[in-house]
Amino acid sequence: MMTGLAVLAFTLAATTSPLHAGETNEVEQLKRQLQQMQEQFEKVEAEQKAQIDGLRHQVDLLSATQAAAATQATATNLAAAPPPANAVSRGMYQELSDKVDQVVEAQKKVLPGEFNPALGFVGETVGSWRSMGSDQTGSSRPGGFDVWERSLELNASASVDPFAKGWIVANASADSATGESTFGIEEGALQTTSLPGNLTLTAGRFFGEFGRLSYIHDHELPFVNRPLVLDDYIGGESRSDGAQVNWLAPVDHYISLTAGLGDSFGGDDPNPDNPGAYRSFYGLNFWSRASTYFDLTPSWQLETGVSGLWNPRTEDRGGAILQPDGVTTLTEKQRRLAGVDFKFSYVPLRDNQFNSFTWGTEILFSDNNYLVDPNGMANSGDEYRSDVNAWGMYSYVAYKWSRRWSAGFLFDYLESPQNNNDETLAYSPFVTFAISHWNELRLQYTHTDHDAASGLQSDDAIYLQWAWIIGAHSHGWTQR
Amino acid sequence: MAGPNAETLKGNLNMKTKLLLPVLLAFALGAVPAGAAKVRVVATLTDLADLARNVGGDLVEVHCLATGIEDTHGVPMKPSFVPLLNRADLVVLVGFDCEHAFLPALLEASKNPKIQPGHPGYVDCSRDIIPLDVPKSTDHSEGDVHPYGNPHYTLDPVLMESAVKTICAALAATAPEHQADFEKNRDAYLAKLDAKIAGWQAELAPFKGSQFVSYHEHWPYFAARFGLVYFGTIEVKPGIDPTPRHIEELVKAMKASHVPVVVREPQFPEKVPALIARETGAKLIKLPIMPGGVPDTDTYIEEMDYIVHAFAEALKK
Repeated sequence: MMTGLAVLAFTLAATTSPLHAGETNEVEQLKRQLQQMQEQFEKVEAEQKAQIDGLRHQVDLLSATQAAAATQATATNLAAAPPPANAVSRGMYQELSDKVDQVVEAQKKVLPGEFNPALGFVGETVGSWRSMGSDQTGSSRPGGFDVWERSLELNASASVDPFAKGWIVANASADSATGESTFGIEEGALQTTSLPGNLTLTAGRFFGEFGRLSYIHDHELPFVNRPLVLDDYIGGESRSDGAQVNWLAPVDHYISLTAGLGDSFGGDDPNPDNPGAYRSFYGLNFWSRASTYFDLTPSWQLETGVSGLWNPRTEDRGGAILQPDGVTTLTEKQRRLAGVDFKFSYVPLRDNQFNSFTWGTEILFSDNNYLVDPNGMANSGDEYRSDVNAWGMYSYVAYKWSRRWSAGFLFDYLESPQNNNDETLAYSPFVTFAISHWNELRLQYTHTDHDAASGLQSDDAIYLQWAWIIGAHSHGWTQR
Repeated sequence: MAGPNAETLKGNLNMKTKLLLPVLLAFALGAVPAGAAKVRVVATLTDLADLARNVGGDLVEVHCLATGIEDTHGVPMKPSFVPLLNRADLVVLVGFDCEHAFLPALLEASKNPKIQPGHPGYVDCSRDIIPLDVPKSTDHSEGDVHPYGNPHYTLDPVLMESAVKTICAALAATAPEHQADFEKNRDAYLAKLDAKIAGWQAELAPFKGSQFVSYHEHWPYFAARFGLVYFGTIEVKPGIDPTPRHIEELVKAMKASHVPVVVREPQFPEKVPALIARETGAKLIKLPIMPGGVPDTDTYIEEMDYIVHAFAEALKK
């Protein structure tokens, strides 16, 4: 302020030069004004200082009064003591108290939706170009140029009570045949949170634990498309309506065991397997998984597991499957699937957001039993039962070199579970650009080689995937 | 047909008992925490582990998920942490959603009801701390925003005294027979910390008002405590890498305001902070965000010593 006045004085002085004889009085007048302003400023400053001192004094008094009040509760002779000099008046105290009450009252909101679950939404668009039509590739999507809203996924999760949590994943995606959006509940399950003995029970519709990637949603895969072996042997995501128990071994080393049963396992068809008039216990699907983990070094990790799936009386899962010869049909009677998997990863402690490497592999062995009908005419007497042993695998590497960029390569190989002479190979380099944690673009090229036995043509495809998330989104431990 | 005699039944029963015994034993081991003599503590970050060791002394067994060199939001979610958490009596965490990327899923996998949120074994050290930078709206347009406010109060030693008290109260509630020991340890540590705080404040007092930038929003509590001015971050928003435009604007603003220091936390790449320091003429310093982040910072006090000395050195004319 003083500097301001000095500047003002200087300015005034400067603007009044050079002086003329008739302007002397004007200069004097300005000097007087300046002096008056300075006196006025000093007066205001003194008043404000006095006010500040007064307020500070009041604050000290209030603190002292509060301390005295606290002491009063325990003192026995304080009633006789005189009030402290210059104590805060009852009115001032009441005024402060009212203000605090108003603030507290403002926080008491009636929120009818307070117990609503956490909500999140996932969108996933896939644009592609394939060199062959779907009649030649067996794909559910057309050849040439294609754009597909593969996932529109709504997630909701919350605690059910102190003993369980629940979640729902509803998905609407375009039907590959009609183009219409079909809305369905992918998951809707309850999971216990406080069972004794290191046990967790999950029941409802959920993705059963088999292998590494069968219970991962499409948009969370490290590449665009689900590995072929998971599509063919499991039926895509490992969805089941049933129950699953997981047990964590009470030892220092991580060992997890899972067992479950359900009316179906995998596949997009929500109908249960063998929906006949009466289904025996052996008509259900049974699965299990054991997994463990090793810290090879602080940064190198190995996670591995074995899985099994058994449906003793499949009866007619998928109906009569027409073979490439156009005549023979196979009807599945028993489903047996085993798998071994590992994930070997480099996750540096210091900068894992910017640098990591993963090598994941899963090998599946299928030993299904089929009713083979050579002429495709039911009950013609030439049918026979046959086991088909087939295996398939995928293996991928992914390297991340910045928070945004990563790239990798996926290799697919499988024998058809109905005909082990029918082999398919696919090679898929991919690159991912994570705009942020919730917004990701991925470009992938895939060359697929079909065996002649399949009656399908080899083809090339380019995919551009855009996946994004809004709101809350967490699939928990198993989807890590 | 002759029915089974009593001997056979008894023999079968004995055999079944022998077979079931190991299974029952395994379940029992899962239900009862091993090493019940000591309180088993799992801390998420090394600063909290150090505080727990100081308060708990020989009466606690402290494990830590981080080693000190990780990002506070990016501790790898290793399955080997699950058995540790499964047997823990207490999990000690920073809170304010600091561990959102790894702790909720680990707690889910731990199958340990004692340490789940809302239970006494879930020791949230932010409980008595008033957060800074509470967002007006929790929207991802603000990046990986923390809805409860900035969680990096651990770099303010005065606020960490509150964490010490919270840990002490949790230990005393878990093992009330040792309450006096815990409180004695707490008071001794707080006295030591108080003395260090006075020293740190004196060391940085000449630099009050000095400005600095950092890669991530780690430093608002530290700046407020020691009278420094937190000018901005190299990240565009929390968790969002800098864009060329943001870097250009930051450099321009730093030059105009003569910001003398750029802080790089060790888990972030050096390239951009070094470029900004070079462009602006500021000094680049690498500072840990928890004990163990750089060599010779094994304890919280050593870490703060390192940070304060490094700042004082960088701010000297």
